[in-house]
Amino acid sequence: MATYQYLIDYFNEAPLLIQLAWAVSCILFTAIVILTLYLKLIRATLRKKDIETARFRKDYESTLIEYLYSSSEDGNINDQQIAIIEKLNVSVHIKSKRKIIISILYNLMNEVSGEMSDSIKTLYFKTGLYDYALARLENKNWYIIAKGIGELTRFKIEEAHDLVEPFIKHPRHEVRKETQLYMVNMFRFKGLSFLDELKTPLSEWAQVQLLETLQKFDDQQICDIKPWLKSSNETVILFALKLAKMYNQFEVKDTLMELLSHPIKKIRVRVIEVLTSLYGIEAKEMLKANFNDLSLEEQISFFGLLEKLVVPSDEPFIEKHLFHKNFEIQLLALKILKSINIDKFMGLSKSTKSRGNKKIIQFVTNT
Amino acid sequence: MTRKKIVLAEDNSTLSLLLKFRLEKEGYELFMAQDGREALDLIEKESPDLILTDIMMPFVSGLEVISHVRLKLDSDTPVIVFSSAGQEEMVIKAFNLGANDFMGKPFSPNELIIRVKRLLN
Repeated sequence: MATYQYLIDYFNEAPLLIQLAWAVSCILFTAIVILTLYLKLIRATLRKKDIETARFRKDYESTLIEYLYSSSEDGNINDQQIAIIEKLNVSVHIKSKRKIIISILYNLMNEVSGEMSDSIKTLYFKTGLYDYALARLENKNWYIIAKGIGELTRFKIEEAHDLVEPFIKHPRHEVRKETQLYMVNMFRFKGLSFLDELKTPLSEWAQVQLLETLQKFDDQQICDIKPWLKSSNETVILFALKLAKMYNQFEVKDTLMELLSHPIKKIRVRVIEVLTSLYGIEAKEMLKANFNDLSLEEQISFFGLLEKLVVPSDEPFIEKHLFHKNFEIQLLALKILKSINIDKFMGLSKSTKSRGNKKIIQFVTNT
Repeated sequence: MTRKKIVLAEDNSTLSLLLKFRLEKEGYELFMAQDGREALDLIEKESPDLILTDIMMPFVSGLEVISHVRLKLDSDTPVIVFSSAGQEEMVIKAFNLGANDFMGKPFSPNELIIRVKRLLN
């Protein structure tokens, strides 16, 4: 007691600054102790939750396997499967358990095909997970809707088409993107019908994802892309151009020729690139005649086309642009000349006019 | 009659369990590994008759597992690799390293059984 009294007296008699320092130290010490205990409690809770999740996961993995292997040959659900569905039905109402069940089902859905994949889909419906996904579509938060559509896509639920389709015009691009992916994943090229009326921009990333999805399918029978090439939406045209190139759409050449006079430069440049891959000979003469009216990017793109479709009669045109002010055109012109008339190309290195371009000529000679 | 041993290296626990159940039903003895490192330990310890391995796994990949079996252990144990979409180049590498067969995910477990039987008989 005397010791404590001594400490209290010491504190009371100490200068104000020392008293303040002690007070701050005590507060900090208490805060550290409380936070340490709190951290320990959180870690213990998380560890407990992790163990529970792992246990639950293991339990439901076995249940799922049991469900899949207990199916009868006629495809009907038997009593054993009904018991499993009932067991899962109870857990599905608890959010954390529902998440685990979805992740288990999805993990397996990705890895197996055929009857087993169909059985997983049936289980998704029967356990009520489908209803939970549909309920997400009615949520007022856009990210919940996007997640709901994503889940329906992953489980290949075509039945939700009518409920998902309206989101194609959702103000948030994340929701629109998920809806577009749903449509294409479920209905392949037919799912691209949303492009007919798409007014909002289709981002480059969304285009890449759609193309990647389309390439996954065995059936590569593409639909008519002409209406999209004539779309008033710039991004839809750009996407249709990618499709034309990827799926060798020779039948849209005439539409592509019309697009060479599109008011947007980016589209005109891409059209030349697509015509290059589709061997658009018709475009060559037209672009050659209007070469000086083209923008620099179009001129470069045209020389790319010429590199692939050049014939000996193009030589005078190439010669005219051997010393073009743009490096890329100069390089392409030299490469093309080398491919059609090697003697004339070799003669260039000796020519006095081409002395300034010696390094480029040297480079093309060695390539 | 001794049961034929199979080492299954797959990091997806649900798929592992599914295949274990199916293969055990067919009369094989299964040894499961959740990653390549565990698979290598099991292969050295159990000397299996067949190895089933995923290509992408933590710590040691399926390609490294094949390489270890063929080059370090100098074993000709049949190997079937599982690959996902977009891993075509990996599959070619796996064949170059000495894999005997491959199955692209998603696959049918029944088809796997047929391939396993073909390699083991």
